[in-house]
Amino acid sequence: MSGIIEVENLSFGYTPEETILKALSFEVMPGTFVGIAGPNGAGKTTLLNLLCGLLTPKAGSIEIDTAHIESYSIRKLAQKVSVVRHEFVPVFDFTVRECVSMARTPYLGTFGFEGKDDKKFVNDALAITDTARFAHRPLAQLSGGERQRVFIARALAQNTAILLLDEPTSFLDLKHQVGIYDLLKTAQLEKGKTIVAVTHDINLTIQYADEVLLLGADSSYQHGRAKDVFSLDQIEKVFGVRTFAGKVGGENFFLPLGKFAKDSRQITSKLDGGQQE
Amino acid sequence: MVKNLTAKNLAIKVFICLAVLAVVMCLCAMVGTQKVSLEKVFAGPGEEAGQAIDYEIFVGVRLPRVILAALVGAALACAGVVLQAILRNPLADPYILGISSGAGLGVITAFLFGATWGFFWGGAIAVFAFTGASLTVWLVWCIGRFTGKSQVTNLLLAGVVVNAFFSAVIMFLTSIANSEQLRSTIYWLMGNITEKDWLVLWVSAGCILAGIIGLFNICHKLNILTFGQEEAKALGVDAAKTRLVAFGFAAFITAIAVSLSGLIGFVGLVIPHGVRLVFGPDHRQLLPLSAIIGSIFLVIADTLARTIVAPAQLPVGVITAIVGGPFFLVLLAKYSRKVSWLK
Repeated sequence: MSGIIEVENLSFGYTPEETILKALSFEVMPGTFVGIAGPNGAGKTTLLNLLCGLLTPKAGSIEIDTAHIESYSIRKLAQKVSVVRHEFVPVFDFTVRECVSMARTPYLGTFGFEGKDDKKFVNDALAITDTARFAHRPLAQLSGGERQRVFIARALAQNTAILLLDEPTSFLDLKHQVGIYDLLKTAQLEKGKTIVAVTHDINLTIQYADEVLLLGADSSYQHGRAKDVFSLDQIEKVFGVRTFAGKVGGENFFLPLGKFAKDSRQITSKLDGGQQE
Repeated sequence: MVKNLTAKNLAIKVFICLAVLAVVMCLCAMVGTQKVSLEKVFAGPGEEAGQAIDYEIFVGVRLPRVILAALVGAALACAGVVLQAILRNPLADPYILGISSGAGLGVITAFLFGATWGFFWGGAIAVFAFTGASLTVWLVWCIGRFTGKSQVTNLLLAGVVVNAFFSAVIMFLTSIANSEQLRSTIYWLMGNITEKDWLVLWVSAGCILAGIIGLFNICHKLNILTFGQEEAKALGVDAAKTRLVAFGFAAFITAIAVSLSGLIGFVGLVIPHGVRLVFGPDHRQLLPLSAIIGSIFLVIADTLARTIVAPAQLPVGVITAIVGGPFFLVLLAKYSRKVSWLK
């Protein structure tokens, strides 16, 4: 079985001199949950934009569902890959239902009216994300967490095999963060979606992702099972911050420790080169 | 339970609005300095010319003018809808952004080359107007990109400057041009609907309808474009292509409207806002309903323009600006406070 996303020797930079991603190769199997982590500027969002065809690689290739990404038309690609970016409020007062219905655009004919099937996909997506109860409300009147669920509903209604997410939980409180990840996991397990999420939250990623792609600021990368990639050494090295590692049940957890963190001196760290008292 | 917009549901609304438009057009054609009785109009033209005065006034003078107002209203309202969607700016309007003056400059240039009002030159005037409008759309788009999308007002300021510049050039050209045509040109610049012959009307009607149908075809894509270019691509919409088509058609119908009746402001601002408030922002519905309600609005405005100071006449642009100006200020205050809306 071959991967649904296959990235081969991918390089990218926004200017000819600059390189953000260098010789990146990995494979995502259908129905897996992959987290993309790394420090700011490591190219996480850039990679996401490459995977959805918004950017074109400098070198190397990306294959989606065994076909080269550039062989897809914009419309065909939108039938394979859906994208959820940071939640935002649009200019005009579209309601939740109108917004989710837009997901059906790649399937509509001329004049763009939805048919029966389209409505079914929209209703299912509203139900699974628990957004049906405020389907008639304008997006502007929702809280950040609710709005993010609406954009996920839209991605689900788009009925694509692959879901790409750019920091889906960045402005949300603890409960809503977990809620969004639960929702994504449900989509993975029940609908067989392949989920690729850019994230800053290492601990949530460990809990939910099957595999992790850890990008370093120096264009290095690690790809593997979440447990293997996220080790204390690795995290301290890639993020450049002293970190406390602990275990709850079978899972590892990591807490960053700043210079003024209370009681931080009690914990020794490899970054300090063992000079800690 | 909220329902999706269906073609059937939309057809019903369009039909009702069209019926209202027909009634308004009939009523407005009745109003005027000379009283006209419908009975005599339906009696038809007399056997000899000059006998059935009522018929001649109604069919020869009032009806063409009412139809012209309806056409121009529809064109300007649709252009407003499209510009607001593509520029993601609720205050966009062909007049405010200077696109009407761009088209106007084209028309004046055509005059300098010797064009005169009338059917023979009509085509040439329209081509010049379209060129002027397209160049201005392109200019405003570039300025909008350059200044960034963070401020609602940046684009408007650009529009104000473009507008002032083109108006100055127009004034310059008219003052060096033949003084005989000066008075009619100045009236035309203020937005004036006058009687046109039927052939001009039918050809313009065909052009404007074609433009509106062309735009209706991309309305579902306009919905997504209001979410921005990246979102559009993720949802399978080619933003650049859609934008080109939208700008092209918007410039086209604006150009036709301007070459018919000069610079009429604020129709493209007031009407889409009103329709959006009542029916929601879905462009598949917003565009056709704005077209019809824009027609109704301008037919009424023009009727006011030719009756309130009778027997003299006002340019209809005076009426739309008196209504639209304050409306614009209210919207400006509202959206300036919500700058964060436009990420």
